[in-house]
Amino acid sequence: MNKVLFFAHLRDEAGAESVMMDAAGKTVAELKTLIAKKYGVTRLDTAMVAINEEFAPDADRIGDGDIIAFIPPVSGG
Amino acid sequence: MSERYSRQTLFPGIGPEGQEKIGRKHVLIVGAGALGSGNAEVLTRAGVGRLTIIDRDYVEESNLQRQQLYTEEDVAEKLPKAVAAKKRLEKINSEINITAIVGDATPEVLAEFAGGIDLILDSTDNFETRMTINDISQKYNIPWVYGACVASFGMSFTIIPGVTPCLNCLLKAVPLQGLTCDTGGIIGPAVQMVIAHQTAEALKILSEDYDAVRPSLVSFDLWRNDYTSMKMSRAKDPGCLSCGENREYPYLDEENRMKTAVLCGRDTVQIRPPHAGSFNLEELAGKLSALGYAVKGNPYLLSAENGESRFVLFQDGRALIHGTKDIAQAKSLYQRLFG
Repeated sequence: MNKVLFFAHLRDEAGAESVMMDAAGKTVAELKTLIAKKYGVTRLDTAMVAINEEFAPDADRIGDGDIIAFIPPVSGG
Repeated sequence: MSERYSRQTLFPGIGPEGQEKIGRKHVLIVGAGALGSGNAEVLTRAGVGRLTIIDRDYVEESNLQRQQLYTEEDVAEKLPKAVAAKKRLEKINSEINITAIVGDATPEVLAEFAGGIDLILDSTDNFETRMTINDISQKYNIPWVYGACVASFGMSFTIIPGVTPCLNCLLKAVPLQGLTCDTGGIIGPAVQMVIAHQTAEALKILSEDYDAVRPSLVSFDLWRNDYTSMKMSRAKDPGCLSCGENREYPYLDEENRMKTAVLCGRDTVQIRPPHAGSFNLEELAGKLSALGYAVKGNPYLLSAENGESRFVLFQDGRALIHGTKDIAQAKSLYQRLFG
């Protein structure tokens, strides 16, 4: 199982701080598509993804037990 | 050296040598809004040698809640932010050489200063300018510190050419429709937290303590009590067009910038983002209504109007800003609302 964390406005869209799901074997890009569909989170394509607190490119494969975080870049200043 | 910086030189990370280095450095602050005014104040108090501040806006009442350099007088006089900032900063520390530039931070303007700059502190409110800063940073080998906030959330990342990944490695493209302070709101403490991160990084770089520079992207949410740090070394992309082997500095190129045109005889400025996007008009309509705009719409466009401005936004991101011929003013409104 994997814990998927949402930050900033993604959390409002997902309606939860985090969700548990089985994402092992999927790539980061595949997980983005899945989450967008399942939880109605848009704009995931521009969010940065961390696996176990380390930046993960779209092609990275998720392992069992990995913690995944979606962090959207924000622009206010 | 006077007593002025005694507490800072007492701090072992800086010391008298570090202070002397800070005093010889020239920092460019792009944007003089919430982050810009805070960043400028910290560096002015800390004794940086020269400060150049560029901003295209003037002070408005809604700025006072978080933009720490400005006063009600500045609002009444509608002073340009860069000018009001310089006025206040010179009262804080008359030893600092401060230059205020009222205008857009275009690649041309930034390139003009690039030669003598030791560090750029990002204090803008949009990714187009950040990508320009990023390319200038890579081309002229100047470190810069990304900082941004919205609502109670904020983030910062330090970019050192040749060492860390760059912003284009992380984002690949300008994210459209990021939340901005004008649509998602903002609280002062989130601003201050980003300023704390950016200026701590600035002091490390200016005093040349590069080992102390934070290698991770830090983000936090002060309302939801989160603080996270993401290691970034794997983000470096060898094929990146801004910092990779075959670099082209795409954001210094006219092609990739927002297109603006004054529509003759219509008192209207048209704004077109460099790449057509897909805006969620329904969601934006709700946000704009909450801001006091009268909003009408159909599936293709929305039109919004308040006492001051009137505009039409198309689904692909193109906008017509009515009632003005001033491109800088129109661009400013667009980027404040839509990122």
